[in-house]
Formats: sequence, C-alpha cells, structure tokens
Amino acid sequence: MAQARQAPLDLLLARVQRYGATFADIVREHAGYKTQILQLAVVDLLKTYRGSALGWLWAVIKPSVTISVYWFAFSVGLRAGKDVNGFPFFLWLLAGIVPWFYMQEMLTQGSTNFKRYNYLVTKIRFPLSTISTFVSLSKLYVHAALLMIVTVIFIMFGRPVDVYFLQLPLYTALMFLFFTMWSLFASLLSAMSKDFSNVVTSFVMAIFWISGIMWDVNRVNNPLLAKILLFNPVTFIANGYRNVFIYKRWFFQDPFALFAFAVVLAVMFGLSLYTFNRLRRDIADVL
Amino acid sequence: MSAKQIPAIEFRHVYKRYRLYRSDKHRFLGIFSKRIAFKEVFANRDLTFKVERGESVAIMGKNGAGKSTMLKMITGVAFPSSGKIDVNGRVSALLELTAGFDPEFTGRENVHLRGQLWGLDKAEIAVLERQVVEFADIGVYMDQPMRTYSSGMKARVGFAIASSINPDILVVDEALSVGDKAFRQKCDRRIKEIMAEEKVTVIFVTHSSGSAEAICNRGIVLERGKLAFDGPIRAAIEFYEGPPDTPVVAG
Repeated sequence: MAQARQAPLDLLLARVQRYGATFADIVREHAGYKTQILQLAVVDLLKTYRGSALGWLWAVIKPSVTISVYWFAFSVGLRAGKDVNGFPFFLWLLAGIVPWFYMQEMLTQGSTNFKRYNYLVTKIRFPLSTISTFVSLSKLYVHAALLMIVTVIFIMFGRPVDVYFLQLPLYTALMFLFFTMWSLFASLLSAMSKDFSNVVTSFVMAIFWISGIMWDVNRVNNPLLAKILLFNPVTFIANGYRNVFIYKRWFFQDPFALFAFAVVLAVMFGLSLYTFNRLRRDIADVL
Repeated sequence: MSAKQIPAIEFRHVYKRYRLYRSDKHRFLGIFSKRIAFKEVFANRDLTFKVERGESVAIMGKNGAGKSTMLKMITGVAFPSSGKIDVNGRVSALLELTAGFDPEFTGRENVHLRGQLWGLDKAEIAVLERQVVEFADIGVYMDQPMRTYSSGMKARVGFAIASSINPDILVVDEALSVGDKAFRQKCDRRIKEIMAEEKVTVIFVTHSSGSAEAICNRGIVLERGKLAFDGPIRAAIEFYEGPPDTPVVAG
C-alpha cells in the first residue's frame, strides 16, 4: 500500500507503474493463450446453444422474432415506420438492431463471465483476463453470421454493397473492443456482488430504449441533448451501422461522435484496468 | 544430488487474509471505499518452508487449520495476501475431483476442454482421451452431459484427467476417497505409480497418520493457519496426535 505521506508525484508514478504492469499482464496473458482463446470461443458457442433441440437455429430465431415484433408494433400499430433516407423502415430498423443483439448479449451474459466459468477461476489455473475475450469473441461469431444475413436481405431489397461497407469492420472492431472491456469490468463486479448483475439486467431494456435504436438520434431537436446522447456507446455503434447501411456517411464526417466515443472508450479502459488490478486476486476467494 | 537445487515449492512469510464484510453489499462498497468496516481472518499466517524436489510431505491439521487455502495457493488458483510463493514445475492437483467441469458438456467434451486449457495439441488430446476413457471406465456415460453424472462418476473422470498428466508436483487431498473400493484401490495404485517416477514431489493432505506414514517422509502440521511443526513424519504425527489417548487409526 502506498504511504499517504509520500510526495504526490511519487505516488502518481507508482500508480502509473502498477497499472502499466497490470496492463502488461493482460497483454501477456492474451499472447500466451491465443490458441486457447480461439478454441474457447467455439466452446462458449457450443455451451450457449447446447441442450436445445433447435440448437444453432436459436441464434437466428430469437433476433428474427424480436425484429418482427418491433416492425409490427411500429409500422402497423403506431404507424410510425416512415422511410428513412429512401430506405424502408424495416431496413432502417434492421441496420440498427443487429449490433444491438451483440451488445445486449454482452450487457447481460457478458457481465457474468466469472460466474458462468467459475471452474476456470477456482479449480484450474487460467488467466482471468482472457475469459471475457473469448466470450466476447463467441458472441462476435454470431454477430458476424447475422450481419451476413442482413447484408443479403439488403441486397434482396435492391440495396447492393457499396464503398461505405468498408467502414463496417471499424465499427465492429470498436464495438468488440468496448464491450470486451465492459465485460471484464462488469464480470469482476458481479462476481463480487449480485446486486451489480441485477442492476445491469434491469437496465438493459432502459438502455435499449434511450439509445436510439428504435428512433433516430439524428432527429433530436435540442442540439445540446443531441451531443450528450452521442456519449452513449450503444448509440454510437447503432448509428455507425446505420451510417454504413442507411445514411451512407463516413465515420469521419461526424468528428464529435468519434470524439465522444473515444472518451467513453478511454473511461471504460481505465475502469476495467482499475477493477482488474484491484480484484483479480480476490475473485477466486469469493466465487 | 547436485548442490544447487531449485526447490519445488518455496513459501516465504506467506499470509492469506480474508476480509469478512457484514454483507455482500458491504463487500461491494468495500471495493471502492476504505471506510467500510470488515473483519480480517487469517487462513494462513507467516508460512515459511521449502519443499525440495522428490520430497513427499504430509500436511496435517484440523478442519480450518488452513490446509485447503495453502493447497489452493500451491496450485495457483488463490493468491497470498502478502509474502511470496515459488512453485517450480507442473502441478497436478487431486483436490475436488467432482468440480472443475462444465456440466453442459459430456465427459468426453470435458476431457477435450481440459486438454485445450492445458494447451495440448490434437495428438496429445487424443492420447489423453484414450487414457481417461480407459481409466474412468464409465461406459456410455462418457458421451452424456456431466450434469447427469453421479458424484462417483464425476470423481472417476476427474481422477482420470488429473492423474493422466505426468506432474512434477502432485497434490493429493485425502478427502478424495470416493467411489467404490475397487476404484479406490485403482486410484491408490495410480498415485503410487506417479510417485514412483523419479523426482516427483508429493504434497499429501490427510487426517490419517497411517497413510501419511506409508507415503511421506516429512510432515507439516498447521494450527490455526500457522506452521506448528515441520520435521520427520514420525515426529510430526506424534506432534499432531499428541499423547496417544485416541488411537483411532483409519485405514
């Protein structure tokens, strides 16, 4: 423990050193367990869809049902489903909701990794930081499959793949990065306290509705509010996917959105590093 | 023997402290604030000892003496609160045999999973699988999800996996005496086989002086987390059991 009487500069330096070492540990763990991470991502996929007769199909059925329900409620029920940028409402919905399925999985299941894989924590010697990575990777595989289906649907609607699709990997990578760090942070905390995982699960629906997946954030009238909303990473990602599929805009055309996301990403990085440094040695004791 | 030998296990002033909070809520808040009250319990206190390669050491102590915590730290799943632990070599732990499996996967899949976790390649995993199937001997259950297993079947697979790698350090908790007599004997034989290998270090946790004396040549007695005795096995047993007024010797 650092002494309170130490010079503030020394204290800061010691802290930077400590977190630097923790980050180096994380990198080292990932480098040393590359193959295992890839294999375990597949294992996680199997684990998720195991034990049901339809198995893999659920990865498609669940989102299809959700999309149909929302489309029905908005287009038929609320009669709010207008065309956006010349694209039918259904396609607009599709583009924004596809990344949401990944984000939702990471918010819920991705925040309980150490509990779901407690045998990797308490029974076997295994690098803890990599657990969130392979879980996230497993969800990313499903996401990639859905993304392919969506692209095919767009093509069927006569909207071919164009140059804007080049930025799709960027948005996917940013989403993966953010939510993998989130997953490490949240899994650590929910292992320490059930309250935390309860808070997360009860807010998932709220996050869905405030994040502009079902409505267009670009149409918010209050300019200040519009800026604030961009600090929500879910909004940034959903909007990014729509930049590709619907709005046909480049990521650098909205520098403020990029800046806001970078800030949030940095904060998430700090939070996950802080909690990992703080809790990694305690997790096995509380599970 | 070479003069400069790296010890298999070295503990230097190892403390293991658990913080007990009033509730989960307090524990959660305790992560962020130092003002949340908690009680400190020491599972291990100032443990300092060395185990050389090839030694076999019995760990004795009453329930709650800190044996399990110590074993967890040797196997590397728990970490000391202060002090330093050096473990040199591959550790195989026969601790809680029924744990450490994914219940959703079949026995065979769990064998593969474990092989992957250890970083084995395909050929090595195939060998592992053959060994485990043969040793566990649970027939068609090998391809059923492990949540459907009885504790005896889990223990069979668990023992088969844990004993199939050739470890440098073997950690055995005597509490593993599960399953029927025939299987227990099979396990005993396998442990002796591993021990017969040269330079295998054995840590054996037991309450029974009989098996301790049969297997080990050195004994460590823990008392409320502290090292109470460390010496030749005979003396350790005498220390642990005290004056011979309770001659209840288990087999």
